[in-house]
Amino acid sequence: MAQGLLTDTRLSPLPAADAALVAQLQQGSEVAFRTLVARYQDRIYQTAFSLLRSAEEAEDVAQEVFVEVYQTIGRFRGEAALSTWLYRLATSRALKNRQRARAKKRFAFFTSLLGFNNETLHEPPDHGHPQALLEGQQQLQLLLAHIARLPDQQQVAFTLRHEQELSYEEIAAVLETTVSAVESLLFRARQTLRKHVNPLLRHV
Amino acid sequence: MSDSAAHSNSDEAWDDLMGQLAAQPKYQPQPFFYTRVQARLAAQSATPPILGWLRRPAYAVLLGALVLMLSGDGSALRPAVGVVHDNASPR
Repeated sequence: MAQGLLTDTRLSPLPAADAALVAQLQQGSEVAFRTLVARYQDRIYQTAFSLLRSAEEAEDVAQEVFVEVYQTIGRFRGEAALSTWLYRLATSRALKNRQRARAKKRFAFFTSLLGFNNETLHEPPDHGHPQALLEGQQQLQLLLAHIARLPDQQQVAFTLRHEQELSYEEIAAVLETTVSAVESLLFRARQTLRKHVNPLLRHV
Repeated sequence: MSDSAAHSNSDEAWDDLMGQLAAQPKYQPQPFFYTRVQARLAAQSATPPILGWLRRPAYAVLLGALVLMLSGDGSALRPAVGVVHDNASPR
């Protein structure tokens, strides 16, 4: 995935502030790495959290992203914004983690059916903010549940647009696609969500 | 309620819901995140890549099978070579 970004020429050029940071990182500056983490940790963590809805898994993904950046920064040629690369790493790793968790769950279910173990199957803990659990927030909770069921690309596009407030162009760069493809992903995501969340919201 | 009024209500409700989604609290990692990243980096650099690779069960099983197969070949071939040799030798 990182390799894809390193050779992609469609993405926006590297902003000056990030260019200086990348140059220092490539020289092995620990101060620069600390600055990078401080600058991006919240955005990366929030993106992972939005896709996984688990504080523990979001922390894990965010750590993995920065470790990968540290290990592969030497190959970064600055043809894309640093934030684009980070968002791309975060979203792909979050989706991979989720697929792994689902496969594990399916395997556990299968083995429990065959009686190989007596582990109790349980849903991952719900770390939704208490605010979302209040009576008046039921619709938001329902929305979050349905966002989690969207196809991967739609979910990433929707999350980056509505929770990270990225522009269509930025989302297209993260997903390595075109702006019209992002528009289509968002249209389909909204259509699905409006259909499921509330009959009143059905008109798209 | 007319179609246009229903449409307008629906859009308003959707916009309101999107507003709630955007207004969710911005979650942050626990304090000392950088320290934990550093610890993870240190742990990864302390593990030789081959050990990390071997930790994956599929690769470990494959390697074990390969070792067994190779060691099995040797012992299986030796008597055969011996038999050919015995037959070929003049009495």
